[in-house]
Amino acid sequence: MSSVVIDPVTRIEGHLRVEMRTKTLETSTGNWTVVDEAYCSGTMFRGIEIILKGRDPRDAWIITQRICGVCPAPHAEASMQAIEAAFNVKPTPLAILVRNILHGAYYIYDHIIHTYLLIGPELGVLAKYPPMVPPALGKEGIAKLSLGSSYAQALDIQRKANEIVAMWGGKFPHHQTEYPGGMAVKPTAERIAKTLSKMTEIWSWIANVMVRDFMKILEANERIGEAISTILDVDFRGLQDLGASTGNFLSYGLFPDHENYDDWLSILYSPGYRKSALINAGAWDGERKAFDLKKIEEYVRYSWYENASGLHPSEEDLPKPNKEKDEAYSWLKAPRYDKRVYEVGPLARMINTFGTKWKIPMINPVTGEDLGYFEYEVQNPQGSVIDRVAARVALTLLIATKMFDWLQEAKSYLGEKVTVKKDKVREGEGFGLWEAPRGALLHYIRVRDYRIDRYQAVVPSTWNFSPRDDFGQPGAAERALEGTWLPEMSVAKICDAIYPEKDVDLSPLGIPKKVSWGEALAPALKQLGLARLNIEKVNGSEYNTTLALLVIRSFDPCIACAVHVLRC
Amino acid sequence: MIINQLLVDLKGGSVKLTRRNFVKLVSALGASAFLTTYKSDIVAALEETKDYWHIAWLNGGACTGCTISFAQTADPDILQILTEILVGNSGMPIVLPDYMETIHLASGSLAEEFKERWKRGKDGRRILIVEGAIQDPGYCVIAGKDFREHVLDAVKYADAIIAVGQCATFGGIPAAKPNPTNAKGLADFLREEGVNKEVINLPLCPVNADQLVVTLAAVVIGAEIELDDYGRPKMFFSTNMHNDLCPYRPYYDKGQFVEVPGEGEGCKYKIGCKGPITWTDCPLRKWNNGTSYCVEAGAPCIGCSEPGWPDEFSPFYEEVSNLTSAIIDPTKLGTGIFGATLAGIGVHAVRRSLKSKKEVEENE
Repeated sequence: MSSVVIDPVTRIEGHLRVEMRTKTLETSTGNWTVVDEAYCSGTMFRGIEIILKGRDPRDAWIITQRICGVCPAPHAEASMQAIEAAFNVKPTPLAILVRNILHGAYYIYDHIIHTYLLIGPELGVLAKYPPMVPPALGKEGIAKLSLGSSYAQALDIQRKANEIVAMWGGKFPHHQTEYPGGMAVKPTAERIAKTLSKMTEIWSWIANVMVRDFMKILEANERIGEAISTILDVDFRGLQDLGASTGNFLSYGLFPDHENYDDWLSILYSPGYRKSALINAGAWDGERKAFDLKKIEEYVRYSWYENASGLHPSEEDLPKPNKEKDEAYSWLKAPRYDKRVYEVGPLARMINTFGTKWKIPMINPVTGEDLGYFEYEVQNPQGSVIDRVAARVALTLLIATKMFDWLQEAKSYLGEKVTVKKDKVREGEGFGLWEAPRGALLHYIRVRDYRIDRYQAVVPSTWNFSPRDDFGQPGAAERALEGTWLPEMSVAKICDAIYPEKDVDLSPLGIPKKVSWGEALAPALKQLGLARLNIEKVNGSEYNTTLALLVIRSFDPCIACAVHVLRC
Repeated sequence: MIINQLLVDLKGGSVKLTRRNFVKLVSALGASAFLTTYKSDIVAALEETKDYWHIAWLNGGACTGCTISFAQTADPDILQILTEILVGNSGMPIVLPDYMETIHLASGSLAEEFKERWKRGKDGRRILIVEGAIQDPGYCVIAGKDFREHVLDAVKYADAIIAVGQCATFGGIPAAKPNPTNAKGLADFLREEGVNKEVINLPLCPVNADQLVVTLAAVVIGAEIELDDYGRPKMFFSTNMHNDLCPYRPYYDKGQFVEVPGEGEGCKYKIGCKGPITWTDCPLRKWNNGTSYCVEAGAPCIGCSEPGWPDEFSPFYEEVSNLTSAIIDPTKLGTGIFGATLAGIGVHAVRRSLKSKKEVEENE
């Protein structure tokens, strides 16, 4: 057994260290190193909850959105809803629509940036699909080889999605226009028209490029499965057999119905589904179950805190950090639902809303052109790399389509009140339950004498990247890493093992030659100083962590969030 | 007015860009309009100095918002050019510094090796960008090494140092009371450690992408960047939001205020706008490809460009005249002009409150 460490894990938000203890898998084709146990550590701590105490409750959403600059908008929204619950005020229907529009555009940016910039490079390389590989040969490579064509377009499209956020929020990251009981931004016909025009381009790109790219990855996946099965002599279907966690999925729901906000609020008081929302709440454990807020507890036995373990977020005291604590190895706590490990994120949202078979119509909202359906069946009921990627693509499409409904609906509300102002409350408490792109997000506020007395945030990456809990159960990502193969070869060699044929034509670059996929990648990687990409050296052996990184990144980790008071 | 004529000339492109007038042009136009108007000149100037520059972008006690903000720049073509100069011909459509953990391809030990590659870059050609606050030992550890050590090591090699965002400049949210991790900005940290090197501070929360692109271009071209007392380039941070730039200022002078966020037209002073004590060019430059900025979208400015933020600028929805902290200690907030402005506000506020009382009485 040896211990392979990735520190820092990059192309994520924040500071994450992953340690993988290995074991040997003996098969007819040889001895292979796989992950036996994994330990995820958050390594940066700021103490946001401590900073909030004593402040004006209305400032909480502005400060807590700065927990994370990748997913600031969801923190703002979860916080605002907690404040509104404490203030006992509801946003107006028009404000709900405006929030849906602002946060819808935000979601599109976030899922796109993850799919292409963060997890995309490894997917593109393993699937032998140049449009998703970063454009290492610049504009020439894009034009002549489609190398990085989708990657470059994704950058442009996410920028446009964020221009919508800025239109309604002032700027992105860190928009500025929420207010208890409504929104500070005035919905105007001009804002709606400009948003529609941007969405037209964005929708079309999602339906025509993002969905296509995913289908290409899916096609290649079969080949990846066959090749790895042959090499290892194990039954490995593809990326659906990589990164399985527990099969328990938690969602709080997303995008309320502006005419049925009471249904949205109902789960704060009794178990429920938020069925009127675009994305439902639920606690899937193989079948659909109502979400029950009372069943959430946070454990800290393996976290650098002196606090009591196993408490509900409303009972937890401010964090008491202790970097020397025995057994502890992370700034992340271990949130559990019904004392069990639940995965959160896009896959949890899709499963809790649509079950395991999805069929999303792709009808251009502007031209009416029928592009058929995005159809997908979850391939691993425990979750997997490919299922998580699929869910992100499905949600991007779903939300982009829904944006047009919200915008049309907002038009019919123009001129009505956007805000019912509520500035303060002497005593009160409240939860905000929302979804960040990375998963279920909870904020809790308690107000005493007009000031914040206590604040807690239980965030998605804390669920997914939690350390072990008091019962010894590894967190979702720790579990998902178990069994992952750590090949003792370079990225280019892995590519050649999957795709030995020499069919990559370099003649558009003036090189009259056909080479294998690995041979094509090797010089490009070398030129960028990346020949040893994803290689970690331990006791003279070299392990390739590409598959492990795919597992980690499939959860879209956001560690600043996870360690808002923790340190990773 | 002369300034208007200058703007006409600039926009018509009749004034040519040189390293000497670079900063003047940025001041007159704002970062975003400058980039649009002078794109080809910048490209030409950059190409003249085509030399292998290296950037390392380090993240400490950060939320990564500045990285994301950087990816929102209005002009990706400029970035492309910068990129080709900075990292050879990688051709990445975003700036790909040698080290930038949120975006670059390498992980783990290879990522750490990238920092070494940056250090081996040509003398006089290494830019260090720091995002996030510097905290006490143990609160941010990367690759087993404290972030403080990473920074102290990198500044030895840096030929230009740029701190991006509120956290790296002035401590930002992590340094807010009671500052649980003793977080501080880069310049303060270096001073404490006895390191005497200039830091270009680009505050705002997050950093504005266009300001960073312009600053990088200025460094590469060799234009002299004049800094204010807080290390901020004067070309971006010498105008008062409220007095010099606010398009809603006439509402203030007329006493027409927004009282309920999102309802009615008016000045946002009464819902807490911190424009009067904020020195930035947001109304001119705006955000996200010139789309909007906080006040235009209906929200109050929260003053995120200033030292002492957020504590001296909150409660965020409180009127400036009620912020005792800011009024008591103006030296913390700005230069001499600040006192005068604040006196002005005081008078205005009193006059206005008398007026509104009178109106209320009349209405009753």
